[in-house]
Order: sequence, then C-alpha cells, then structure tokens
Amino acid sequence: MMRKLKEFNQLSGEAARDVFFIWRNELRRVVHDQGVLIFFILVPLLYPMLYAFIYTEETVREVPAVVVDRSGTALSREFVRRVDATADVRVVARTGNMDEAKEMMRRAEVYGIICLPEDFSREVHRQEQAYVSLYCDMSGLLYYKALLLACTEVSLEMNTELQVERLGNSTSRQDEVATSPLQYEDVALFNPQNGFASFLLPAVLMLVIQQTLLLGVGMINGTARERATFHTQLIHAGRRGTLRLVAGKAFCYFLVYVLVCLWTLVVVPRLFGLVQIPQAFDLLAFVIPYVLACIFFAMTCSLLICQRETCMPVFVFTSLPFLFVSGISWPGVAVPDFWRILSYLVPSTLGINGFVRINTQGALLEDVAFEYIVLWIQTGFYFLTACAAYYYMIGESRKKAMTLN
Amino acid sequence: MQASHGIFGIMVREFHRLLSRPLYLFCMVVAPLTCCLFFTTLMDNGLPQNMPVGVVDDDNTSTTREVLRNMDAFSQVELTASYESVSSARRAMQQGRIYAFYYIPKGTTDELLAGRRPKVSFYTNNSLLIAGSLIYRDLRTMSVLANASVGLETLRAKGVTDPMAMTFLQPIVIDTHPLSNPWLNYSVYLNNTILPGILMILIFMITVYSIGSELKEGTGRAWLAMADNDMLVAAAGKLLPHTAIFFVVASLYDLYLYGVLSFPCHSGILPLLLASLLMVLASQAFGVLFITVLPTLRLALSACSLWGVVSFSISGFSFPVMAMHPSLQLLSNLFPLRHYFLIYINQTLNGYPMVYAWKSYVMLLCFVLLPLLLLKRLRTVMLNYDYIP
Repeated sequence: MMRKLKEFNQLSGEAARDVFFIWRNELRRVVHDQGVLIFFILVPLLYPMLYAFIYTEETVREVPAVVVDRSGTALSREFVRRVDATADVRVVARTGNMDEAKEMMRRAEVYGIICLPEDFSREVHRQEQAYVSLYCDMSGLLYYKALLLACTEVSLEMNTELQVERLGNSTSRQDEVATSPLQYEDVALFNPQNGFASFLLPAVLMLVIQQTLLLGVGMINGTARERATFHTQLIHAGRRGTLRLVAGKAFCYFLVYVLVCLWTLVVVPRLFGLVQIPQAFDLLAFVIPYVLACIFFAMTCSLLICQRETCMPVFVFTSLPFLFVSGISWPGVAVPDFWRILSYLVPSTLGINGFVRINTQGALLEDVAFEYIVLWIQTGFYFLTACAAYYYMIGESRKKAMTLN
Repeated sequence: MQASHGIFGIMVREFHRLLSRPLYLFCMVVAPLTCCLFFTTLMDNGLPQNMPVGVVDDDNTSTTREVLRNMDAFSQVELTASYESVSSARRAMQQGRIYAFYYIPKGTTDELLAGRRPKVSFYTNNSLLIAGSLIYRDLRTMSVLANASVGLETLRAKGVTDPMAMTFLQPIVIDTHPLSNPWLNYSVYLNNTILPGILMILIFMITVYSIGSELKEGTGRAWLAMADNDMLVAAAGKLLPHTAIFFVVASLYDLYLYGVLSFPCHSGILPLLLASLLMVLASQAFGVLFITVLPTLRLALSACSLWGVVSFSISGFSFPVMAMHPSLQLLSNLFPLRHYFLIYINQTLNGYPMVYAWKSYVMLLCFVLLPLLLLKRLRTVMLNYDYIP
C-alpha cells in the first residue's frame, strides 16, 4: 500500500515536471515563431481597433436625397424643409423633372427620390389624402431605413398639425387627445444609439479569440508535421506521453490567451466606449470555459493542417459562417434547426451569445446556463479529441521521420 | 511531364499539382459551394418571421387585450409569453428568450377613457440590431394604427364615414417604393456580396499558395524553364487553369442565385458573367501582387487574410462607405470586392446602363493588368530568392 502510494507520488511528480517542461518549450516556440506571434498577439491587438475605426460613426446620417416637387406650394416646401432638417436625410437637389432625379440616382449622387405630386396641396386642402412617393435605392438597408424614418416622422408631425387645424378645438389639450389618444414610447435597451459598432464588435471580439487560436495552433502543428518533428516534442523520446503533451501545450495557450482576453474583452470595449455592463465574476466564469473549449477545438482541428501555411486557406474564410450562425446579426430564431444544432459544435456560437448577454445586456451567469454548460461539455469533448489527434500526429511524425532517415 | 514545354505543358503540370493536394479541391470547389448552400439556406426566409416578443400587461382589460391582439397579427412579431413585471421580462430578454417586450401600465384603459393620453412602452433589444430594427418598424406602424383605430371609434360615434375618417386621420401618406428589392429580402441584400467575398478570399489564397509553394519547394526554376524563362508564359500557364475553375464556380453562384432562387437580376446574363470573370481575374491579380511583394508564403497569405476579411467591412454593403472616415473611403477603392459590389448594384440589382459603373470597371481592369508590371520582379524572386519560412 505504502509502496503504491509512493510510486503514485513519484509518477505524478514526474508528470507535473513533464507538463511544466512542455509548457516552457511551447512558450519558447511561440515567442520565437514570428508567424505564430502574428496570430496570437498582433491580430488580437490590432484587428479590433481597425474594426472600431471602420464603424466609428456607429450610424449613417444625412443620406443624400433629391426632391421632385411638382406641387411647388408652401405646404410642399414645408414638407421638404422638415425632411431636410432631420439628422437622417439631406436634400441635395430640387427639381421638377423626374428623369433628372432618376439620372442622379443612377450616378449614385442620391439614394432616394422624394416625389410630391402636382395635386399635393390641393388634395390636402380638399380634405382628401395626398400621397408622397418615396423611391429608395436598395443598395444598403441603412439608406432605406434613414429615408423611410425621416419621411414618416415628418408626415406624422404634419398630419397632427393638419388635424388640429381642422378640428378647431378650443384648447391644445383637446387637440392632442383627439389626434393621438395613446402615447407610445420606444426604449432601445442595451444599445441606445442603435450603433453598428456596439452591435457587431462584441461578436467580432469573441470570434477573434477562436479564429486566431485555430490559425496559431494550426501553424504550430503544421510546422511540426511538415518537418516530421512532432514526436520530438515529447520529453521521453521512446515513450508515449500524449496526455502530458496536450496538457502542457494547452496550459501555454491558456496563459497567452488570458492576456489576449484581457485586451479584447476588457480594454478594447472601454477604449471605444462600447456598452459594457457585466458582472465581473460572471464574465470571468464564462470566459474560462470558452477559452478552454477554443483551445481544445483548435488543437483538434489542427489535424486538418499538414503544412505550416495551409492553416490560412483552410480557416480564414470560416469566420463568416461562424459569425452569421451565432444569431447576432441574423436573428437566432430565424436560423434553421439543422444549422443551429450543427453550430453547437463550434465554441464561438455559444461564446458570442453568452458574451453579448453578459457584457452588453448585463445578464448573470445563470441566465446563460445553457451556453455555459455546453461550453464545458465542448471542453471535455474536444480535450478527448485533441488527445486522439495528437496521438495520431505523434505516430505519423515518427513514421515520417523514419522514412526520411 | 518534363517533355512538353510551353504554356500547355505548364498547364498540364499545374493540373497535376492541383490534383496532388486535397487543399486545392477543398478551397476551390468544396468550400465555396458549401458556403453558398450554407448562406442561402440560413437566410431562406428572406425576412425573419415571428420573432418572440413578451408582454407585461399590468392593466389587463378588454381594451389592452385588443391592442395586443392587433400586434400579434403582424408578421414579424409573435407574442409568446406574458410576464408579471418589467424586471422579469428584462430577465427573459437577457436569457435570450424574447427580443422585445410591450409594457402597458396599470390604469391605461381608465386614463384612455378619461382622455388623459396614457403612455405605453415598447422595449427592444438593440444589441441585436437587425431584430431590434425590424421590431421597431412594426411598433411604428402599430402605434399609428392603434391610434387610428381609437380615433376612428371616436369619429364613427360622431357619424363620420370611414373613408372620411381616414383622410382626417392621415392627410399625408408616405407611399414607399424600395426599388428592386420590394420584399426587403435580407438574403438578396447580403448573399450577393458575401458569397463573392468568400470566393475572393479563397482566390487570393490559392493564387498565393500555388506560386508561393514553388518558391518554398524550390521548384520555381523548373517551372520557369518550361516557359524558357518567360515569366508571362509561366504565370499564364499556371493561373489560367485556376481562372477556369474559379470562373465555373462563380458562374454556378450566378446560376443558383438568379436562376434557381430568382434573386432580382435586371442586367441579363452577360454583364453578370462579365462581372464574375472580372472579379476572378482581379482577385488572382491581387494574389500575384501579394506573393511578389512579400515573397514568403506565410507573409503573403497573412496579407491575403487581412485584405480578404477587411473587404467585407469596407466594401460598404452592410455599413455604408459614406459614413466612414474619409481615409477609409479612399482606401475602399483598393478592394476588388468594393468595385464588384458597386457593379452588382448598378447592373444586376438596378439594371442601369453600364456607363454609370465605368469607374468600377476601370478599377477592376487596372487590378487585372497590375501583374504585368510585377512580372519582372516575380521572375527575379523566382530565380534568386532564398526562401525564409
């Protein structure tokens, strides 16, 4: 009994020492490999800043539009003046000729045509409905949204005034009651200014963690496989030590990514004034299984990479499907079941959802329990597959080295 | 293989190389077609339907229930649950179960009857921007209609007929015409640019990889020797087989999007194919540029990744270029996807005459001709460069 315990102690001490050595070697490898450093440090450092710079305006203002005012009355001019006064739309030209307006649209000088018909004022004064036609270029939904919003707001405003005029009530209070008996209030939660950056960046920040790990780990293993040096990373050359190898390497990546997460998930949102209302403990508790799942996912996927450079052609384009399936831009309820279930295999789906809720919407860990649990399941599952993958790659590398010699 | 010289010999050699590595098959055929199926089935609905919305009805009278029933009828919104308080509804939102909720305070009906203009609130989750905006749009329509229906009741009581009442309630009507995409279909709006964008990344990568691996494996001299050291012949022989394959893939995209899914196409088939061909050639040209300027496979591929991924943001199909910093507006001209997007808008979506997109055509042509300036340098690189891994 005592001897067995002593043996066990000796063995676990040796294992810990091996893991430590592998960790140190791996760290040295990472630091000395410029290619890997680009993925582990440079991309997470600069990429979020580039994105924040692109989306710095958050929303589109002053969309250029042309007015075709066939009515030419005080009322029609008032309508145009008010549309121009909104923050969303800028009237760049007025013309009486529809062909001229269409020409401007073709030349992409304007993104909308606001057309007031000849009988605009007459209809209004005869107490009939007058139609304002709005033609929108659909090259960007944000143009459409801005034009529609501005015109609708102005028409609602003027409608109320016209009604008041016709009612001839004695007090303005009576007017209000008659024209709009209910008041509506719209509260935009978690992103009050409807900003593009506040919406897209949190998802991108989380995705960057997974994708750079895929690329970096892919490059490390691709290099070792190409040169048939994969098995030389083991401490005891002759023996198997897959578990120690996986543990030591994962530990190394984890430490690097603690720093990366600190930058991308804490500093960057603060730097660019993104919405950030998380409970610190919940965020920390959530990010740990995410990073672990990403590490083992990347270690497993590196099985696809046989050469140092091929990690890029294979992994870079996957960012787009991974981003879209997460349900941040394309609503999650509209994702077909088949893709939704398949997407649970990828850490970023759960990571992005959980992070956006905790960080941007102030959810607690228990609110993202599903994501949290699945991430731990992924961590366990991908740990096992990573061991299998490394076991295979060790054998492959040994065989290749033998034939080379 | 060695026996045959000239451009055809190089093409045969390249086909053998393409077949020798599964990477080529994956990046040139499997990945682009899988992405096409993925994105089109993902956005199959076109416009998200029945997004779950919660209700906090503290008043709970027949009037408020009527208002809520009206709202449920809107296609994009589905009232899925009611909550007893605002904080529990907010909690449900944080758990991702609802995208928005409607709050009707206690006493709303009484105040309405007394003419005190009660306020009802609508909370949308705008950290999910598309869902938030869609629901917001419904709220706008909803509030106009709800007010109109209450107002209509009042006017009817005074003996006014319905058409007269409507002209009273809405003297000015906005008649919106979203040109070329009247359904506001998101699949049309996004996939026409995302899919070519993904194909572009892969073309960048494969072009760089195929030339760069000659450098890395030290087979560059043999490749050049087959063309009697004429870089133009060597490059053409190597890249034309890629052009053919990628052009077939791009045409399959066109066939699927406009033929099978019937996306709006107002230009006819030829301009569509011309744009696809220019896109393929321009992307290959960028690949040649990257590997010539950065004659290390790894660095050139890194540059491809950067250029390819940034083009999605800077091409302006989701966030307009006009709202970006002036320096970025200038920079956007250097991205082939930007010009492809502008040509798509001009030709395919709107069906305008080609002259209106002449700048983009010229830019793409410039990109295509760019490698001619680089051939000499590429030749030097091939013959003299010591490879750095």
